[in-house]
Amino acid sequence: MSPTLTADSVSVSFEGLRALSKVNLDVPRSRITGLIGPNGAGKTTLVNVLTGFQVPSEGHVILDGERLGCLPPHKIRRRGVARTFQSGRLFSDLSVLDNLEVTGIGLGLQRKEAASRAAEMLEWVGIAHLAERTAGGLPYTDERRVAIGRALMMEPHYLLLDEPAAGMSAEEAAQLASLIKRIIAEKKCGVLLIEHNIGLVLNICDDIHVLDSGEIIDCGSPAAIKASEKVRHAYMGTQADAVGEIL
Amino acid sequence: MAARSSILAKTVSTPVILIGILLIVALVALLVKSGPFNQTVIDIFIRVVLVVGLYVFIGNSGVISFGHIGFTCLGAYATAWLTIPPPMKKMALPGLPDIILNAKLPFAPAIVLAAIFAGVCALVFGKILMRLSGIAASIATFAMLALINQVYSNWERVTGATSSVVGIPINRSIWPYAICAFVVVIIAYLYAISRSGLALRSARDEATAAAASGIDIPRERLIAFTLSGVIMGLGGALYAHSVGVVTPDTFYLGLTFISLSMLVVGGMNSLSGAVLGVVILSTIIQILRWFEKGVPIGGTTLTIPNGLQEIAIGIVMIVILMYRPSGLTKNRELVWRGWPFRGLFGGA
Ligand SMILES: Nc1ncnc2c1ncn2[C@@H]1O[C@H](COP(=O)(O)OP(=O)(O)OP(=O)(O)O)[C@@H](O)[C@H]1O
Ligand SMILES: [Mg+2]
Repeated sequence: MSPTLTADSVSVSFEGLRALSKVNLDVPRSRITGLIGPNGAGKTTLVNVLTGFQVPSEGHVILDGERLGCLPPHKIRRRGVARTFQSGRLFSDLSVLDNLEVTGIGLGLQRKEAASRAAEMLEWVGIAHLAERTAGGLPYTDERRVAIGRALMMEPHYLLLDEPAAGMSAEEAAQLASLIKRIIAEKKCGVLLIEHNIGLVLNICDDIHVLDSGEIIDCGSPAAIKASEKVRHAYMGTQADAVGEIL
Repeated sequence: MAARSSILAKTVSTPVILIGILLIVALVALLVKSGPFNQTVIDIFIRVVLVVGLYVFIGNSGVISFGHIGFTCLGAYATAWLTIPPPMKKMALPGLPDIILNAKLPFAPAIVLAAIFAGVCALVFGKILMRLSGIAASIATFAMLALINQVYSNWERVTGATSSVVGIPINRSIWPYAICAFVVVIIAYLYAISRSGLALRSARDEATAAAASGIDIPRERLIAFTLSGVIMGLGGALYAHSVGVVTPDTFYLGLTFISLSMLVVGGMNSLSGAVLGVVILSTIIQILRWFEKGVPIGGTTLTIPNGLQEIAIGIVMIVILMYRPSGLTKNRELVWRGWPFRGLFGGA
């Protein structure tokens, strides 16, 4: 079996509210897996489970065939599962270079080595010119790219992106799409892409899972998801227009 | 590219400038050649040790600690145990183990051992406390201070309870104190640029993202807590040798208030803030002391009531918190950018 990051029948409840119920999801290496669903569907909660920030009330996380138990987040990162956050969460008082260097240190490097790896990564992502800037004052799109660079440090096997295109213009989203494709081609990690920008997801994902009220209601290729009645249904209201335009 | 050597090269001016400022303070004392002023300068160096010790933990972790003066207490009593002449010790503190009762160590090894003792205690307390975060951690450190104070105020046969422990050899030269202050500034600087220092500052900014970057936050906090415990213990030992007497209440709320004020006024997140906070507030305190004794102005003598010191420091702290909440240094470090003082305050 090829290596995957897997949610195996994961359920999470918050004081009675069932945020996830018996969710199964595979993130294979070298592929882009999409995760879409309306606000409050449980997408972020699923990422939190996969990265150790949320202990599931039922089910397990399986990393390359091995059950993870309840490892704390920093240990899961050291095992090669990296993530970004919906809200950016850069280290705002540190320079951009230090933001990336921290991951190198967290994964055991000395400062010198971590700093040179961080500089290489900034180059790779195309934001080397920002190295000395304080992360706190960055514009939105740069912030997103720094966050992706920080997560990509030290060659993670899996990269979970929580709404990386939120607030981006069409052009910026296209740049992001090509960056994600480069990540797959050159870094060979498995990407889980959570996005409300359905066009982006349909465009670059190999597989798409649709989450609604904590349940996976559909999954398949972009073409299959495009055609799915259930998905149309889940995206009622304002979301329906957005999907309708694309479908 | 940005190698460690260049981190050193980029930032090494900070400890050099700070030590330079402290050297000037020492030279003033040598020039003035007055006994009381000498003591004032020794007090400044001891406060530098204490406030820099606070900075190592508070500044890097962002967790306020109200308990660190407890480690100062531990260090002060430890050096008392090691240096008081054995006959006096057998009378005053008969509960000490024989090996300590018979010990009579010189100044230098005694203060080093006292600092290590405080550090070991900080390690033990930290193991428990560092699992907490935010306000819960701060309150727990306060509880630790009260606990240490109560033990030392009641353990008659080992600490002499609330009565003064006397007979600690007094060292009146300013140099041992100055050298300790320099060394502590260098240690704090090296910690700040170390892996652990950077990891801890990242967690101060964004704990969630730090954990997602592989940082073991409780572990890094514990390293800083222990190191700052060592420094606070050293400060306590120095204090004991500067006056020759210790009581538990010397190391309680008053000293906690003054040293935290100095850190806040200078800027909690910077080493420069710690040192400048001490120098500036100590200067204010000294001027107020002169006025408490009475200063002749024109034909009359101007005297201010005793106790105004604390009130004045409280006011200075509130004013700083209102108008410059990140302290006089705005949490930045003093750096050298060539002559003349072009952009004296550099990046964070
Ligand atoms: N820590 C928490 N405590 C209580 N309820 C929570 C918590 N985290 C999430 N929830 C709830 O769980 C549900 C799923 O939230 P989640 O953030 O996973 O949704 P999402 O799909 O990421 O939504 P969005 O698209 O808005 O980011 C929501 O109803 C949310 O209010
Ligand atoms: Mg979300």
